[in-house]
Amino acid sequence: MQRATPQNGGSRTEVRLLSAILVVAICLTLAPVLRLFVEGVTDQGSLSLTLMSDVLSQPSTLSALKHSLITAGFGTVVSLVLGSAFAFLVALTDLRAKAALVFCLMIPMMIPPQITALSWTQIMGPSSVLLKTLGIAPPLGSPQPLYSPEGIIFLLGVQHMSIIFLTLRAGLRSIPQDVVEAARISGAKGLRTWWQVVMPLTLPSLAAGTAITFVTALGNFGIPAMLGIPAGYATLPTLVYQKLAGMGTTVLAEVSVLAMLIGAVAVAGILVQRFFQGRQKLHLVGSTSRPLALPLGNARLPVEILLWTIVCTILVLPMFGLIATSLVPAYGVALRLNTVTLDSWHEVLFRQPVTTRAFANSFGLAAGASLALMVICLPLAWRMERRKTRLARLFDSLLDLPYALPGVVLSIAMILLLIKLPFTDATLYGTIWIIFLAYIARFFAVMFRPVQASLKQLDPGMDEAAQSVGASLYRRLRDVILPLSAPAAAAGAILVFLTAFNELTVSALLWSSGTETLGVVIFNLDDSGETAMASALAMTIVFVVMMLMALIQLFSRRFPKGVVPWQT
Amino acid sequence: MKSLLTSTVFALLATTATADTITLYTSQPNADAQQTVDAFIAANPDTDVEWVRDGTTKLMARLRAEIEAGNPQPDVLLIADTVTLEGMAQQGLLSAYKSPEAENYDAALYSSEGFYYSTKLITTGLVYNTGVETAPTSWGDLTDAAIKGQIAMPSPLYSGAALIHLATLTGDESLGWDYYEALAANEARAQGGNGGTFKAVASGEKPYGMVVDFLAIRNKADGSPVEFVFPEEGVSYVTEPVAIMASAKNVEGAQKFVDFLISDKGQDLVLEMGYIPARDGMGVPEGFPARENIELMAFDPAEALKNAESNKAKFAELFGAE
Repeated sequence: MQRATPQNGGSRTEVRLLSAILVVAICLTLAPVLRLFVEGVTDQGSLSLTLMSDVLSQPSTLSALKHSLITAGFGTVVSLVLGSAFAFLVALTDLRAKAALVFCLMIPMMIPPQITALSWTQIMGPSSVLLKTLGIAPPLGSPQPLYSPEGIIFLLGVQHMSIIFLTLRAGLRSIPQDVVEAARISGAKGLRTWWQVVMPLTLPSLAAGTAITFVTALGNFGIPAMLGIPAGYATLPTLVYQKLAGMGTTVLAEVSVLAMLIGAVAVAGILVQRFFQGRQKLHLVGSTSRPLALPLGNARLPVEILLWTIVCTILVLPMFGLIATSLVPAYGVALRLNTVTLDSWHEVLFRQPVTTRAFANSFGLAAGASLALMVICLPLAWRMERRKTRLARLFDSLLDLPYALPGVVLSIAMILLLIKLPFTDATLYGTIWIIFLAYIARFFAVMFRPVQASLKQLDPGMDEAAQSVGASLYRRLRDVILPLSAPAAAAGAILVFLTAFNELTVSALLWSSGTETLGVVIFNLDDSGETAMASALAMTIVFVVMMLMALIQLFSRRFPKGVVPWQT
Repeated sequence: MKSLLTSTVFALLATTATADTITLYTSQPNADAQQTVDAFIAANPDTDVEWVRDGTTKLMARLRAEIEAGNPQPDVLLIADTVTLEGMAQQGLLSAYKSPEAENYDAALYSSEGFYYSTKLITTGLVYNTGVETAPTSWGDLTDAAIKGQIAMPSPLYSGAALIHLATLTGDESLGWDYYEALAANEARAQGGNGGTFKAVASGEKPYGMVVDFLAIRNKADGSPVEFVFPEEGVSYVTEPVAIMASAKNVEGAQKFVDFLISDKGQDLVLEMGYIPARDGMGVPEGFPARENIELMAFDPAEALKNAESNKAKFAELFGAE
């Protein structure tokens, strides 16, 4: 706190208001984590570290930790390679049909991870409806190639490439054409411009994207559950699930200890990112007027073919798997003209009243969470960038925790925290608000990190200039900060919306009759053996989100430039 | 401002709980749960049921968090297995109730103190993909070297039913831990729960397996290429017991629910859903052999609870699972 030098002309109310936002954000995100910590270090009301050291020294914990580091680490590398290649090519070159490409790239994010895993296993194994229909299914008893660490790494990489793509693309938008032109006038060519000019300028976004991807991959349950459990390859989130399935009395405490271990790895990852990022400081003045379009020349067509092939593989294949599964009457039946049925679609869309309710709930929760987070994160990120108090720094290193924890653990923490509100008899448990608060805590980092990265790129001189001519806090936020960080804020909001819309693990323990989310409905269907109906609903969600995106496209002219990610 | 906020919050929270409502936590599949509740309300029009349906693991995690926070919600549990409920009874979380219907049940199917009552028999037997040449008929057939590496089974580390299956088979004199050692030597894959095992068999990835009866029999009826076998040595079973929480707010309503489930009417419903009723003298659903031909292997929930951790550890060591 002692370093907090007063800003010239910054009024006290402004400082207080911003500090208040910081405190609210800390309560929203860190209170559940703290409650969980308490659960892990107490035994029947008294402090006890025995259980903690027991759990941490079990060989199963250590091997799960190793597996988590391997899958999340390499998965992030896969996402990084795919996501940044797409982002650089789309943002900097003269590729055709960019909008369509970007539009398609958003889709993997919308399919819940366990559905992605499900559809890939359906495509690859001896059970494959697709392969059976084509008559080239492997013989009975052949192993499923995806049930392996490599399978997990590959699918984690594919699932999360959109995160890298979106954050990086937002960062690339603020690179002014002048910088690149200046480099080219001085004789720099293609790759050299990219390596020496563009790359250093985009490092903050790249680093932020990498960090979120790593944390997301670390906390991912769906993919290691579908692919790792059959292979006997447990990661920390699947080990948590295994503990929950136990019958003992110390289950919650054991789970809390494992959750803290996951949290510690995530924080370590964030600190490593910050260490590398702290070494370079480059600021940009203003945003670009025209998008960059370096000519690819002869390479354009081959590059386009390559990109579209990748998009087709990661998108069309799993979608085909989903559709095929949704059209057969029972699992394992081949898709033929005489076996095709639309029963599942009809049942899930028109006969089950819960579907409509879940759509309304999930839409409200996802839209509400992205709006609320945008309102909190913009001023907060700006405040934390300008006044790096100790509290702000501490918060900065911990705010990813609720996002990194397995969703089911976060929901246990929310129940422990909110089942009895302090000082009242009221409870939020069983209402939609407990899910809303859980979403705010969980997706805070997803919104905050891209905004923070874009503000890091900004030259503080612009804000100071506005301040020196007497612009109020509100005015500066509206006229300077908001327009300059709008692409990042929009990228964040879209990421939050897409992840929250079909989120499964957080709401899994928090829903009650009437507050079901889409993820819960899909899971319950699949769990009750209605795989076909689950697939039909998952496909419907993809279609609905595509329609929403098309709707945004219609209104895109009214938004500030760069807000709609798939527009050039 | 504060009072406005409080009143708004209360308005939002106001539930529609009527005087006679019971809250039920159940792990029955969705459609079955709805059917059970509907039938109960039809028989007891004065009592309303609020219910939450989820997988056993999640439901138990939720319940444990609620108990830890001092505010368990359900009055009645229709959930999991007798071992989990035996553990809860020993911790004083369940309330004892002597139902008049109990006399129609085998003594092994309910707690003698009245903490829980079995509602159905879900047996674990053999399953195979109809694409294979030889059908297994006994547990021992899975140790045949000819089918090495082609066997799937649920893991007791992930599934309560599988842990009970393990406790039953290892407790049997003719099988014992030797059998599990032979399975491990025959490279049986024990991972995940019953759902995953069934899919592995139905898809042909692992054409032989052990799985709960209704998954195989129902899917077979829908056209899945599988066959279920009741092995010669007998089958293990879980029973989806019903129990009343010690913290129940509506004990009377909860008792009515228990009585209904284990009454003739309630058991007819079980039959209709395609499960074997736990009550004596009921029929069996289509696709099952007659009840007297189904050999149930001996099983003691208290013993299984005591050995749960050591059984899991032994299993993990044998199968190299982590």
